[in-house]
Amino acid sequence: MTEAVLFALFSVSAIVFAFNVVFRKNPVHCALFLVCVLLSLSGMFILLNAAFIAAIQILIYAGAIMVLFLFVVMLLNVKGETPLLTPGAAKGFGFFFAVIAFAELLWTVLTRGGAEGTPEQAVALPPGFGSPAEIGRVLYTTWLFPFEVTSILLLVAVIGAVVLAKRKFL
Amino acid sequence: MREIFVPLEAYQVVAAVLFTIGLIGVLVRRSALIIFMSIELMLNAVNLSFVAFSKFHGQMDGQIFVFFVMSVAAAEVAVGLAILVAIFRNRETAHVDHVNLLKG
Repeated sequence: MTEAVLFALFSVSAIVFAFNVVFRKNPVHCALFLVCVLLSLSGMFILLNAAFIAAIQILIYAGAIMVLFLFVVMLLNVKGETPLLTPGAAKGFGFFFAVIAFAELLWTVLTRGGAEGTPEQAVALPPGFGSPAEIGRVLYTTWLFPFEVTSILLLVAVIGAVVLAKRKFL
Repeated sequence: MREIFVPLEAYQVVAAVLFTIGLIGVLVRRSALIIFMSIELMLNAVNLSFVAFSKFHGQMDGQIFVFFVMSVAAAEVAVGLAILVAIFRNRETAHVDHVNLLKG
């Protein structure tokens, strides 16, 4: 019962905040509403026995990435756009294709994509499911190579950001 | 009181709604910054889907994938915002409609 109530709370708040992210004029408001979406989603991660992911979500997304966004908003001093949405036929096409994509997603979810084998109820979870110790064990055994590749990706991103931020290359 | 379970579909539908809102943001907004935020929204919707599948299958791999998605998102935001700052420096605009040099 508690789970259902919390799920309803988090999902409704996440969707309402997400609408505000997309349809607000002021970029600062958009960024702050995005933080609210991320916090609602981290609550939902806790409901899904993923406490460590929820903590990471708050630390990295709501902490680091959103600070980067707000920093750029401040740096660029971007005004709210007028008109808010892209003009002309592109707007209509945008909504049209988004609705089509939503219908496809909904069909895939509700019919399970025609696949068998997805469990109706959650299976009995092993002890320590979603704990940092268990995540570390899986990450450093099964997923060790992708984890190392991630470090190269981050290194490339850092170099790219530094190069792009230098004035003389542009 | 009878126990009410939240089914897997409920989480998936929420993820689909969030993904669609992000998609609308990418398609109809013009500020590159808002488009970036919408992309973050879509990535988070997919993360929710991963974590939900992870719980309902009783396997940790979905949560590991969320890890990788987050690191890719961090890299993407760092490079993307650097590009955005560079564009703003050269063109004095952050609107994607105004950056149409390659348009025939």
